[in-house]
Amino acid sequence: MSVTITTKINGQAVSAVAEASASLLEFLRDTLEMKGSKLCCNTGECGACTVIYNGKPINSCVTMAADANGAEIVTIEGLADGEKLHPVQQAFIDTGAVQCGYCTPGYIMSVKALLDRTTKPTPADIEEAVSGNICRCTGYNKIVDAIHLAADRIAGRA
Amino acid sequence: MEYFEPKSLSEALSVLEKHGAEAKVIAGGTDVMVDIKFKEEPGSLVNIKKLPGMSGIKENGGSLRIGALTTIRDLETSTLVREKLPVLWEASHQFASLQVRNTATIGGNICRASPSGETLAPLLVLEATGKCAFPEGEKSQPFTSFFQGPGKSVLGAKGLLTEIDVPYPAAGSKSVYLKHAVRGAMDIAMVGVAVMITPDAGKNNIQDVRIGLGAVAPTPVRAPKTEALLRGKPLTAALLKEAGALAASEATPITDQRSSAENRRWIVEALTRRGLEQTWIAATGKEVV
Repeated sequence: MSVTITTKINGQAVSAVAEASASLLEFLRDTLEMKGSKLCCNTGECGACTVIYNGKPINSCVTMAADANGAEIVTIEGLADGEKLHPVQQAFIDTGAVQCGYCTPGYIMSVKALLDRTTKPTPADIEEAVSGNICRCTGYNKIVDAIHLAADRIAGRA
Repeated sequence: MEYFEPKSLSEALSVLEKHGAEAKVIAGGTDVMVDIKFKEEPGSLVNIKKLPGMSGIKENGGSLRIGALTTIRDLETSTLVREKLPVLWEASHQFASLQVRNTATIGGNICRASPSGETLAPLLVLEATGKCAFPEGEKSQPFTSFFQGPGKSVLGAKGLLTEIDVPYPAAGSKSVYLKHAVRGAMDIAMVGVAVMITPDAGKNNIQDVRIGLGAVAPTPVRAPKTEALLRGKPLTAALLKEAGALAASEATPITDQRSSAENRRWIVEALTRRGLEQTWIAATGKEVV
């Protein structure tokens, strides 16, 4: 059985048909051909599929596509302003926080959601914000460096 | 697979009455979506996430009423929950990742009826009650008699949990939720132990004690023999040791990929001792000697 999904993604109104059993991640990647959000564990454990749903980071792999109806969703594709990267994206590059890169879109969405809430995150805030993201290359220190740098840049401290 | 998005509780109940046996209810989806992807699609899927009036936390005299669709993150960020029901707050705080907490609902955690469900041992020691809606009417069910086995509860195929009523613990009581898992919060608990102690007026003896055990029986359970052993006594080192061993004997764990049954019993013993000691000290200001 298929359902029509009418939603807003990265500020743009979208209406498309998907299987009722589809996850939001499948809707993004397969129906809308937006491949930035990554499919990895498909069980809500690794965070590679993280998107921002009504202002909150969620795992799109364990969210129903149908729940996108009427919601506002931000994905990694929605962050850059033309050629200009979002401060979180730029900070990940500048600190070398990207290794194989597969986890990076998910991390960046989790960090964006954090820095939308506060530009002065405590170590506990940072740990909580990215505790649902796994970097299998284990480049965690540089990711934390990137979060500090992005926060400083957004707040005008750097 | 048929798909339903009922607009009201009564519509949801009539869909379940018609399709109950082959229907699966979905709310946050953090468990059910995994089943759909890795096991099989149900005959029909009933999405209750947007049912009106089933989300939110409100005070109701001596208890908190929590809508079944309230997310774990809403519990974690609620000052009411943190102040009035600290043991439920602790479980919500140790619940998977931020992404999962933003989506998963307390009703889903309960209705999943997994022995390791993070909020369940705390709800047992808080003596919370579920408001259950059936096609034939509504029923209030204490969680101590709600669970019937892994994945099974009194709701059966046609019932829906709409609200959770959690009475405030007695004045002066202290509680703790201790979770043992290899990878911290993201991991499913190998063992979860919730303990609540209420001392007597002079803070000399245990007036009331409740111990909830998670992931060590087909359902989350209380440890009634251990509670009876402790009631009316001061917590001494000898009693603490005896209570830990008795709690371990009340658990009926299985061996699975997370732990052997024997290891689970040891952990029940250790966490029960630790939980009792912590809550005794917090409630009485006295050391265990």
